[in-house]
Amino acid sequence: MAEPTPDTEGPTLCPHTEYAPGEPHPELPLTGASAIGLEAEVWEALRAVEDPEMPVSIVDLGLIYGVDVGGGTARIDLTLTYSGCPARDFILQEVAWRIEQVDGIDEVDVNLVWYPPWTVTNVTDAGREALERFGLSVST
Amino acid sequence: MTRPDPSVEAGGLATAATCPYCGSDDTDREHPKGPSLCRSIYYCHGCDQPFELFR
Repeated sequence: MAEPTPDTEGPTLCPHTEYAPGEPHPELPLTGASAIGLEAEVWEALRAVEDPEMPVSIVDLGLIYGVDVGGGTARIDLTLTYSGCPARDFILQEVAWRIEQVDGIDEVDVNLVWYPPWTVTNVTDAGREALERFGLSVST
Repeated sequence: MTRPDPSVEAGGLATAATCPYCGSDDTDREHPKGPSLCRSIYYCHGCDQPFELFR
C-alpha cells in the first residue's frame, strides 16, 4: 500500500472562491426610508434588530433585501454577512418575533437569500459610524 | 517553536485598514478571521494596538 503523500505545500486558496472585494450593488442597501404606513412600521421593527456580535441594526448593516407587506402578511428577504454566520438563528428568530409584534401583521415570512452576495458596501453611513464607535475599523 | 497557524495565509488578500483609535494607516493584518467571520485582526504600528476590521 502506498504511503500517504505528506502535505508539504501548505494551505492553498479555494479555486471556487473569489477573494476580491465586490462591487457596490446599485439598489442596495435598502433602508425603508420611503416606506409609509404598515410597511414603515415593519421597517421600524427591523431597525430594532441588532447583530448579536455588534451593536448595529441589521438594517444599517445592509442585510435587508426586500420587505413586502400585504393582507396582514409581511415577507422579509434578508441575507447574512457570511453563509456560516453563527448569529443566523438568532437574527432570523428575532426578525420574526419583532415583526409579529407589529399591529396589523398576522403572519411573517422570513426568507433567507444569498443573492446578491453581501459585501461591506451594503453598510449604510450610519452603520459605518456605529461600527467605528464600537471600535471596529470598516474596510473601504 | 511550532509552525505558524496555516489559516493565517488562507483568507485571501489583506485590505488596507485605518486604525479606529488613532487614525493611522500604518497597519498590518495579523489574521484574516477574528472573533466573528466578518472581522479580521489587524495591528496598528501608530499606537501599537490591535484592532479589528469589519469586512
